[in-house]
Amino acid sequence: MRKVAVRILTSLVRDGRSLSELLPAAQTDLEAREAAMLQELAFGVCRNYGRLEAIVGELLQKPLRNKDTDVRMLLWLALYEIAFMRTPDYAVTSSYVGLTQKIKKNWAKGLVNATLRNFLRKQEELLGKAEAKNPHSLPEWIQKRIAKDWPQHSDEVFTAMNLRAPLTLRANAKKTDRSTLCKKFEETGLSTEDCEFSAHGFRVPDAPPVAALPGFADGEFSVQDQSTQLAAMLLRPQAGERVLDACAAPGGKSCHLLEIEPAIELHCLDEDESRLARVRQNFERLGLQAKILCADANVPDSWWDGTHYDAILLDAPCSALGALRRHPDIRLLRRESDIRALARHQLALLNTLWPLLKPGGRLIYATCSVLKQENEECVQKFLASTDDATEIPIEAEWGIPATRGRQILPGQHEADGFYYARLAKAGMPAQA
Amino acid sequence: MADLDILIFPDARLRQTAAQVADIDDKKRALVSDMFETMYAAPGIGLAATQVNVHERIVVIDVSEKGNEPLTLINPEIIVAEGRAQHEEGCLSIPGIYEQVERDEHIKFAAIDVDGNPYEMEAEGLLAVCVQHEIDHLDGKLFVDYLSSLKQRRIKKKMLKHEKD
Repeated sequence: MRKVAVRILTSLVRDGRSLSELLPAAQTDLEAREAAMLQELAFGVCRNYGRLEAIVGELLQKPLRNKDTDVRMLLWLALYEIAFMRTPDYAVTSSYVGLTQKIKKNWAKGLVNATLRNFLRKQEELLGKAEAKNPHSLPEWIQKRIAKDWPQHSDEVFTAMNLRAPLTLRANAKKTDRSTLCKKFEETGLSTEDCEFSAHGFRVPDAPPVAALPGFADGEFSVQDQSTQLAAMLLRPQAGERVLDACAAPGGKSCHLLEIEPAIELHCLDEDESRLARVRQNFERLGLQAKILCADANVPDSWWDGTHYDAILLDAPCSALGALRRHPDIRLLRRESDIRALARHQLALLNTLWPLLKPGGRLIYATCSVLKQENEECVQKFLASTDDATEIPIEAEWGIPATRGRQILPGQHEADGFYYARLAKAGMPAQA
Repeated sequence: MADLDILIFPDARLRQTAAQVADIDDKKRALVSDMFETMYAAPGIGLAATQVNVHERIVVIDVSEKGNEPLTLINPEIIVAEGRAQHEEGCLSIPGIYEQVERDEHIKFAAIDVDGNPYEMEAEGLLAVCVQHEIDHLDGKLFVDYLSSLKQRRIKKKMLKHEKD
């Protein structure tokens, strides 16, 4: 299992693949206890990467070569187990020293042994140093960008990014309602807390695995953060409308739209076929129907049937910094140079999808980012160059108003960081 | 019932002057009904017979939000006009083009309805604009004629380009 952990972390750091992609595949061959342990290790190392990196940097005379990323990951894992888990020190040391052979890096045996022993000798001092160097365990560029964009709130944001996210569920309004479902949960001894702003949302502290919760197989609820729930609610789908969910996978918002208003014609678009498989599973479990399209949203010629939409939900691909507490691997995956490319892509999506909207139609632009470049600046650029687009400010008791749209910062309302802007297309001046 | 083809600018047939309607028979009533169907389907708020290549003085209008207040104007004529006001106009024969046009603000017009009954009606706002826009059609006139020659050339170019696409 530790070998698998080295392998997936190496793939994450070297090939930029995410844990949500790597973990499920790696877990299928493991028994439940080991699978849970693997997840704990992978998430824990990512969450503490800033500290682990600082310690390894301190302990090694010279940095490891790129092709020895696996050795570096092995050291991170070992240090994590010693410092943050309750594995006995000798067990960790012998296990990881032995692992060098299994990953065919025999030469590193001495290095790993010496490094770990060194660490054990000066553990307190090294941890303290690492803590002082990078208290939030975040890459420097992320800290700088957030401090620049949210000077008043940056400390809260950094703290929230390091906390474990609660399990938040969405009651399926088509099959049940929140209070009925919560009663059912409480009967089995689980406590629940209602979300403040989503009428369908509630949190379940200390929950068992989701599939074991009452009503899961019957599609009575889905896992979805409160912030994400607000996106579909802001769109307010109305009976008879044609609605596009432009970046739909894994389908949570699509399902929510149909649960709120089953009588819409919903098109769910995503370019990733493997992720669309999850959309189909979700629709099936929840008893919902929509047209699922696998195509690039930026090339409407390849998928659009030419009939305009009443409403479009564009939850654009983004840095996901707002959801970092749920995806700690973002610390290792994202590069600062990604942001500009993402912002370009986001603006391109807005520009491409806008003509597909009916005159008088509406578009909700959302991201799970907290960077202004991906959010209000993107919307501002779009509005400046689009004659028939206006912003309809979101009046709400949640989040923070931005120059355009509205922002929830990570941890606010116990929710993920999320951004929303509501855009309206000018009604068609009548033709006569 | 049939959806009629709408002539598109700069089609020369849009420049013809329409003739007065002498009497209203079943054929005319069928035409009015087809014109309404074409207008609602477009969707539009008014349609002159000229736009469907019938050169008789017949206009259909519905400026209501729900599209449930149809008006038929046969041989329409403006008898009183007061004030001037600007409105953004669009035309089913010049799709996608919207421009500000100045017209009479309050009008009173006379026309004959689909059953052959003459009537008079006062109008302001969108209805006043629409009635004037449609009567222009019957006289071979288009709202772009009120724009600068530069704008007219640009619109013409745009429409010809669309035609080729």
